[in-house]
Amino acid sequence: MPLIIVSADDFKQGDEISQKVAGTLGYRYLGRDLLHYVATENQVSEEELARALDEAPGLLTRRARRQRLLGLIEAACLNVLLDDNVVCFGLAAHMYVRAVSHALKVRIINEPEQRAEELAKAEGLSVDKARKQVLRQTKEERRWSEEAYNLDQTDASLYDMVISLGTLELDKAVEIISDTVGYRKFQPMTYSRKLMQDKALAANVRRELMGQFPEIRVEANDGTVVVFIQSLKKDQRKKQELVRQIAGGLPGVRHVEVHIIRDLVGQAAQSSR
Amino acid sequence: MSDNLQVLLLDDEPIVGRRLKPALAKIGCEVDVFEDPELALAKMAQKEYDVVVTDIRMDQIDGMQVLEFVRERWPRSKVIMITGYAMMSLAREAMEKGAFDFIAKPFKPDDLRRVIAKAAHALGSDIDFEAVEVEKANG
Repeated sequence: MPLIIVSADDFKQGDEISQKVAGTLGYRYLGRDLLHYVATENQVSEEELARALDEAPGLLTRRARRQRLLGLIEAACLNVLLDDNVVCFGLAAHMYVRAVSHALKVRIINEPEQRAEELAKAEGLSVDKARKQVLRQTKEERRWSEEAYNLDQTDASLYDMVISLGTLELDKAVEIISDTVGYRKFQPMTYSRKLMQDKALAANVRRELMGQFPEIRVEANDGTVVVFIQSLKKDQRKKQELVRQIAGGLPGVRHVEVHIIRDLVGQAAQSSR
Repeated sequence: MSDNLQVLLLDDEPIVGRRLKPALAKIGCEVDVFEDPELALAKMAQKEYDVVVTDIRMDQIDGMQVLEFVRERWPRSKVIMITGYAMMSLAREAMEKGAFDFIAKPFKPDDLRRVIAKAAHALGSDIDFEAVEVEKANG
């Protein structure tokens, strides 16, 4: 049975809708609780993982660290999404499960004015100040997704369905999502399951390698893994061997190909010495 | 009438039929192979197959039209779509139109055999796919 991936401009509302949909359909709910497992497995702090999901990086130097944390979350999330009947929220899955046909991607939005009013009420702000804060949050959200995944997560074309809570009640949104996922087009098939397995395998390989190769890209197809890394010419052979050794030992990997992308910055730095 | 699963395999690339027919025969399927969609449709107008395996992108008639024809004429038949141009929108369209499954090329004969075994199960006539795997393992 299908997967439901929810993204929302208001975390609380998105979380509530996702949990209610999971309850209605008898699906598993996969949310921020996963971060506890990711933190324990990888000896990182849960707070840092949450920040990687919520905040755009401030400095260039922090980018690699943030991408690594997102990579850890992505791998753990995809491993759960290999199962059927899951509602996933708050783990940025809408950014990395895009081409999977049995994943119904839903975006929950709220009218900015309504958000501002609710924020003003909740935090005792003037409506004008709350409006500015909502605008800032929207900009930040866009910047986060563009920097982390090169996509604007507020872009409606990324989703199968966009539901406005300015028009529909929250319970109506739950009902619509629960009904829509029953459409035949969202049923898993051999093609979409394989795509999900390939994504999970690529994410698992990337997780193992990104500590040593921050600018890594991994593709997987039926057990064949293609890894793209940066290297200076003189280190190329050693790095390729290391990648083959690490990736080749992972479950599900049958063959590893390593492609080198020239490290032009490193090369220039070395030749100027 | 044979008790074997009746399968029609349609792909305009001759190699596909040549390769898959013996693979499906091993699990007890009786397979008619077609490269020309018009001839396949003419045959299906006369005969009900348990399973139809069709390529999607073909010259005169595409696999979606074949799917629609089969769903209309023989609603019990299971249609499996295969394509080298798999993408989300096409996969969803096929499922919405009633395809039993959708497989991206290239695939291994075992992948198709597994899906055919699932289709057979859905039709109420199980194929002992495990026995074929054991036989393969024993050489």
